[in-house]
Amino acid sequence: MTDILRVADLSAGYGPLGVLHNVDLTVRAGERVGIIGLNGHGKSTLLKAIAGLTGWQSGSIKLDGAEIGGTRSQGPGRYTHKIVRMGLALMPQGDALFHGLTVADHLDSGAYTPRAWRERKQRRERVLGIFPPLEKLLGQPVGRLSGGERRMVGLARGLMDDAKLLLVDEPSLGLAPKISKGLIEALMQIDIKNGAMVIAEQNLSLLEGKVSRLIGLHAGKLKGGAAAPETVLTPHTHHHHH
Amino acid sequence: MDPYYLALTTITLASIYGLLALGISIIWSSLGMINMAQGFTFAVSGYGAWLAAQNISTNGFVVVAAGVITGALAGALIGGIAFIPLYDKPNFPLRSLIATLAISLMGGQCLLWVFGPRVKALPKIFGFGNYHIGSAVASHDKVGSIVCSAILLLMTLAWMKRSRRGLEIRAMMQNPEGAALVGVGLRSTAMAVMMVTGAMAGLAAVLLSQNYFISPFAGTTPLVKGMVVALAGGLGSVAGALIAAILIGFIESVTAVGLGGQYVLITQFLFIIAVLLVRPRGIAGMIEHARE
Repeated sequence: MTDILRVADLSAGYGPLGVLHNVDLTVRAGERVGIIGLNGHGKSTLLKAIAGLTGWQSGSIKLDGAEIGGTRSQGPGRYTHKIVRMGLALMPQGDALFHGLTVADHLDSGAYTPRAWRERKQRRERVLGIFPPLEKLLGQPVGRLSGGERRMVGLARGLMDDAKLLLVDEPSLGLAPKISKGLIEALMQIDIKNGAMVIAEQNLSLLEGKVSRLIGLHAGKLKGGAAAPETVLTPHTHHHHH
Repeated sequence: MDPYYLALTTITLASIYGLLALGISIIWSSLGMINMAQGFTFAVSGYGAWLAAQNISTNGFVVVAAGVITGALAGALIGGIAFIPLYDKPNFPLRSLIATLAISLMGGQCLLWVFGPRVKALPKIFGFGNYHIGSAVASHDKVGSIVCSAILLLMTLAWMKRSRRGLEIRAMMQNPEGAALVGVGLRSTAMAVMMVTGAMAGLAAVLLSQNYFISPFAGTTPLVKGMVVALAGGLGSVAGALIAAILIGFIESVTAVGLGGQYVLITQFLFIIAVLLVRPRGIAGMIEHARE
């Protein structure tokens, strides 16, 4: 079994502020991992560091064996597009959407490899199968959508290409409980094939019993379960892991 | 005042200023850079077209192509000097403003050095004749200018709408971080933007040089007018830039006919002051979500 993500001794932050301190984390193919922590403890920074979006960072990050980390003291986002092209999809907090562009434009923009761009129509159908409410909104500018609809657009955009690693930052943030649950269900339906998914979430109850592993993040350090398990646990065999 | 003549002059000027303003507007909203060197691109393209007319052929296609290609190369040069080394450094908007201003000044001096102070004239690529439509008369160069800029504008807009690269530019105009997350490389996209907008300035230079001479600092007035149009339209908005170009072109033709050419800049600046007092984000402030 291969490691999709292998983070070793990762520290990261912004300016003089250190947020993550010597974090180690391994995620294997086929796993869905939940990272649970309160606001301000470094969940978003961990996901952003993997995408190269923090102010500075040091330590090793391997995506399917290829090094995407290293030491960087400036230029947030400078290498992000290359990391994305190596197989990373980050659905960030605040969604990072393009407010004047339509839902259809967003889905197309997610198809960045030449193959995905050629197949963008079929892929759009597949993604609309996961998020059916978007079907009717395809021609709408995203700035006019509700919070829940925007979150769906952000997630759907990240599913248009064949990412090996899906990072989802707080899918429930700012949404009504019922909509949050629906989104988590949709995330669980996604066929990750030989890839992996990491979901950062404040609300433990949303992920409990649904993911392969839950890891706590407190004050910039991971607590328990951060090493890869011997075998990948699926929710069917293991309901209360934490 | 002949209303028909006025309308034709308005559209001719609007199409030329629209080319420059759209370039300035797209560069600002996708790269966050005010390109003060757009006027330099304009002047260089004029000389590129002139060199082609002197050495290769005075055929209209050759002259236009030479101007457009020179513009694209000048755009790439500006991008390589003012954007690539600076964009991820602190205080980028101010630094790039100064860098492009420096390119504009140095570039003008270089042109003066190479080509000398004597102005050059381009061949009349559309000929001297007139089209007669009913009782109305339209000169070849006005009709040619309108058709050429409309073709380039429509091609650019269709490319922005349909191609992957165009989608990337539109995405970057709205949210650079989101664009990086869908695999958009800032540097290569920036160079594409600089080359396309440079080509637009290049075409504007060839078209405007049908009536004005080419000189090392010929780009200054078009730059000012392009900026006025881009600002009045709302930086970053294609629709706003086109509407503002028509208004500015109208004001210019009315002022030139009614008061005299020397008052054109005065009425244009009064107009933009009035627009910005009422709508600080320009005409398109409400039409689209432009970069703030």
